[in-house]
Amino acid sequence: MLLQLTHISKSFGGITALTDVNFGVEQGQIVGLIGPNGAGKTTIFNMITAIFPPTSGEITFDGQTLVGLAPYKITDRGIARTFQNIRLFGHMSALENVKVGLHVRTGKGFWAALLRTPSQKREEQLVGQKARELLAFVGLTDIADVRADTLAYGQQRRLEIARALATEPHLLLLDEPAAGMIESETVDLMALIRKIRDNGTTVLLVEHDMHLVMNLCDKVVCINFGKQIAEGTPEEVQNHPDVIEAYLGSEEEDEAC
Amino acid sequence: MIWQQLFNGLTVGSTYSLIAIGYTLIFGVLRIINMAHGQIFIFGSLVGLAVTVNSGLPILVAFAVSILISGVLGVALEFSAMRPLRKKNVPHLASLISTIGFAILVEQLTHLLFGADSRAVPAVATGSYEVGPLMVRQVDLIIIVVSVVLMIVLNYWINRTKMGKALRATAENGDTAGLLGINTNAIIILTVCIASALGGVAGMLIGLTYSALIPTMGLTLGFKGLAVLILGGVGSIPGAMVCGLILGMAEVLTVAYGDSSYRDAVAFGLIILILLLRPQGLFGKKA
Amino acid sequence: MDLLNSYNLQVLTFIVLNLILAISIYVTLSTGQLSLGHAGFMAMGAYGTAILTEQAGLPLFLAVIIAALGTGAISLLIGLPTLRLNGLYLAIATLGFGEVVRVIFLNLEITNGALGITGLHSIGSRVYDILKGFGIKSSTLGMNVLEVKALATLVVLLLLFLAVLFFILRLNRSRVGRAFSAIKADETAAMAMGINITYYKMLAFVIGSVLAGMCGGLFAHITTAITPDDFNYHRVVEILSFAVIGGSEVVIGPLFGATLLTALPEVLRVLSEYKMMFYGGLMVLVMAFRPHGLITAETFARFKRKKKQATGTLDDTNAREGM
Repeated sequence: MLLQLTHISKSFGGITALTDVNFGVEQGQIVGLIGPNGAGKTTIFNMITAIFPPTSGEITFDGQTLVGLAPYKITDRGIARTFQNIRLFGHMSALENVKVGLHVRTGKGFWAALLRTPSQKREEQLVGQKARELLAFVGLTDIADVRADTLAYGQQRRLEIARALATEPHLLLLDEPAAGMIESETVDLMALIRKIRDNGTTVLLVEHDMHLVMNLCDKVVCINFGKQIAEGTPEEVQNHPDVIEAYLGSEEEDEAC
Repeated sequence: MIWQQLFNGLTVGSTYSLIAIGYTLIFGVLRIINMAHGQIFIFGSLVGLAVTVNSGLPILVAFAVSILISGVLGVALEFSAMRPLRKKNVPHLASLISTIGFAILVEQLTHLLFGADSRAVPAVATGSYEVGPLMVRQVDLIIIVVSVVLMIVLNYWINRTKMGKALRATAENGDTAGLLGINTNAIIILTVCIASALGGVAGMLIGLTYSALIPTMGLTLGFKGLAVLILGGVGSIPGAMVCGLILGMAEVLTVAYGDSSYRDAVAFGLIILILLLRPQGLFGKKA
Repeated sequence: MDLLNSYNLQVLTFIVLNLILAISIYVTLSTGQLSLGHAGFMAMGAYGTAILTEQAGLPLFLAVIIAALGTGAISLLIGLPTLRLNGLYLAIATLGFGEVVRVIFLNLEITNGALGITGLHSIGSRVYDILKGFGIKSSTLGMNVLEVKALATLVVLLLLFLAVLFFILRLNRSRVGRAFSAIKADETAAMAMGINITYYKMLAFVIGSVLAGMCGGLFAHITTAITPDDFNYHRVVEILSFAVIGGSEVVIGPLFGATLLTALPEVLRVLSEYKMMFYGGLMVLVMAFRPHGLITAETFARFKRKKKQATGTLDDTNAREGM
């Protein structure tokens, strides 16, 4: 198991967001995390990336615990993420956003920058080159110098992925990458995610787009009201009675009224 | 001897609590620190003082004028420095900076109208009582009682009345409160008004404590209020109440047993200490 | 040579000093942090340098460096408890620091209390002595002694300013500069990208403080007399206004702000009496209508685009750091 969550629970004051969540992600898989809005999926992401700690339970990555680490250390360990409501560095260009992603794998600091040492110049060149490669990988070469907050929505989503990939992650967390996309964009996104996996990065994604989840994921985990209600292949989860109830239950209630 | 010092600390500390509550109210509803608080209420107090001294009216009039003027300035602040910034794409530091600008404007106005010299506050209730080892001045009692009563009334108002509920809702989540039919803009104006008015009372009480008001006090008092805010936990009213007293007593003890010239540095020292030991403040919740 | 009289030269000198001060607050703001302590850091630099030159007899430029670095060390002590917290705490702590420094200097013997330290050797005098050593006298240059000294001071400050600007621009274009920018834009996202935001906020804060300390040392040896009141809250607001009104997104913003706000009260005599009122009112107005300042990254990018149309090159990093 590359990533393993064991008995994960989270409460915020009096509100219990997650209860006893247990699942793992194996190297090379694309795993989907699904569930109605507010079920706790982004909370899981936030705990993996150490934005806040779990109230109880364990999260291990490559056998080592992630709980207690600072968020920037999580990235150093090899986990990168995108955000549900896109958090790009708006005033910076697309290229610069990706360059920031390369921060964690490079090392030139204050004095090197000030003195413009030969090794710093080399690093800057390398950073520029790698950033352009990553933009090309997600198909954004044309808008390299455009301010990130002026990009089209779909471009911003892809840029966030490029930026996350720049950190050279073993595990990529994608939070609703297809949100707001039209069908053609979603198809492109699925191809991109497959490419990412084929390049050696494991993917864990949160999604509402069932078509994407069912066709892309090796494994699906379903969360409802903070509890894990199903785990298995897409077909297994799709036909699981609890999952059907979670998504369609409200429809039946409406009909009854 | 130490009891006398501690009691004196209580007196000045209770005014610090009032000042801090002014910050807490505005922070609670707007999530910003009003850096013009001190300058506003000192201006109000000086106006109140000038009116009383020139007209011979009782000191209560000074209080009323101070409350009125401070409240009005508070509303002016809301309309010029805070409301225009409540739109999209405004950097979060902007409102802090805007209130700093407003503070300077008020401070300059104060300087123009009142100069820099200390102004005497007419003696009020000059008697004193002997309570055990303490010499309790009547005026000290007035200061403490007024502060405590105001805090109790405020607490009651916030927790038990409909208006107070609306205020708490706005503080919790402005958008939701608006959707629930609460006129959040009106609540904000009311909050700023009350906060500044409380400051106006505090300013007059300080004047009574020292029998004088110095126009440059706005910055020092404003900062001490901020120190109390951090000590107690930003956003906590009980924290503001208790820690105002703590600061008052700490200062007085420093003057009595340490070096009196470093009295104003106590607040800063306490800030650094609490940020190192318990950054959420004594009454605050961990982030 | 009449326009270059010693008074005008001194005004220009103060403008250049303010340019460096503007950069000092810009660096801290470039990570989204507000420091209200730059007057306090200036005070430490000023008094530190003055004591080192007067009482320890150190050469001027060495004293400035030592005092500036010392100021940086002290700022580290303030930054450590506050920078890992919300930016609010830094603002309040630095505000308190400035006031405490003032109170301490008012009461210490070595700083001579409210009377301050006077009779310091000016930069101009120092340079004049060096020139004399080379056999160059005021008559050689066709100016009187005062003018030479004033000009010398201005030249020294200009050189220092250019050096500081050069290095800050370099920093902006580097990995460190990108980290600063990312932190300012979105701390959570910056953390998610593996940036240790506390370290970089600390770095920016200390750089700003060292620069402010250096400016303090220079200030002391331009005016040759300092009192604690030279470094009060008004000074804080003044320095802040350069970046806040001029624009804090790109370096040219604070430089523009410093030039405008220092020159205007000189040109419009009526303003100089109400200088602080002018700064305060302008601050409120600019925040209400143009919260990123008069010159924003947008303004600068538009200017660069117009230039591109004329010359034909555009570099993304140039657009971001504003030069």
